[in-house]
Amino acid sequence: MDKLTIAGRTFDSRLLVGTGKFSSPQVMAQALVASGAEIVTVALRRVDIDNPADDTLREIDRERFLLLPNTSGARTADEAVRLSRLARAATGINWVKLEVTPDPYYLLPCPVETLKAAEILVKEGFVVLPYINADPILAKRLQDVGTATVMPLGSPIGSNQGLKTRASLEIIVEQSTVPVVVDAGLGLPSHVAEAMEIGADAVLVNTAIATAGDPVEMATAFRLAVEAGRRAYKAGPRAPTHSAEASSPLTGFLRNS
Amino acid sequence: MKSLKVNGVERQFAPDRMPGTLSALLEALGVGTDAVVAEVDGRIVRREEFPRTEVLEGQQIELIRLMGGG
Repeated sequence: MDKLTIAGRTFDSRLLVGTGKFSSPQVMAQALVASGAEIVTVALRRVDIDNPADDTLREIDRERFLLLPNTSGARTADEAVRLSRLARAATGINWVKLEVTPDPYYLLPCPVETLKAAEILVKEGFVVLPYINADPILAKRLQDVGTATVMPLGSPIGSNQGLKTRASLEIIVEQSTVPVVVDAGLGLPSHVAEAMEIGADAVLVNTAIATAGDPVEMATAFRLAVEAGRRAYKAGPRAPTHSAEASSPLTGFLRNS
Repeated sequence: MKSLKVNGVERQFAPDRMPGTLSALLEALGVGTDAVVAEVDGRIVRREEFPRTEVLEGQQIELIRLMGGG
């Protein structure tokens, strides 16, 4: 499979994996290895003073994985900027998955606040990977202000609905000059294969792997599906046709006249 | 009693038990290595700076950790 480049950094894997919802740090660590991912997302939260030492991330090998802190929980640009600065101070990493989700039910990203935060963060030297609705105009606006990728959603976070936004994703892929990372709602390996087949540069999966009956096996399935989809895209798939097109020759039949 | 607001909750300390630094506060709260960064009255403080960061009565302190997320 060809390599992925984001902000000048090259990756062999086109599957980004989230670290939420795993049943244990050990299962998470095994699933991350099985996924082949090189970029893994993490969240920032207040320390739980009544229940400290819940160090879910202790098993992550920081040499092997690039931590990508997210701004989950932010409802405004100001909150997202604050979380990004804290993340950078905490990790020494200036990459951030920018999420601004004011609506707790569908967790859809706010385009206005996301664009506003992206402008500030890019100016402050962050490598910004913004989570957005599959809006081609917004994707262009974000790439114009200097984000490293765009991360349009397939369907609402954690919903396992797959590529409900396919038509808009195709436009984003066609127009984008930065890598397109399809994020959210990808519930099955077939969903990520579809995203890669239409030309997405990468995908991000969390819930579908973390909450599977066997997360390690599911991580492997997603890794294979991403690779299959990417290879198919690069191999040049043919467009569907209305009528049949015979695969066998239409001459030399064993038939009279 | 002296008070600090830590992660949104008011905490009282006897004057002779009031932590002098962020590191001392973490120890008093029984928070080990969880906190990877802090905010003191909105100012970001890196973990390396915890031992020499003074804590004063009435301050608002946020102790932040990394955790699993998508």
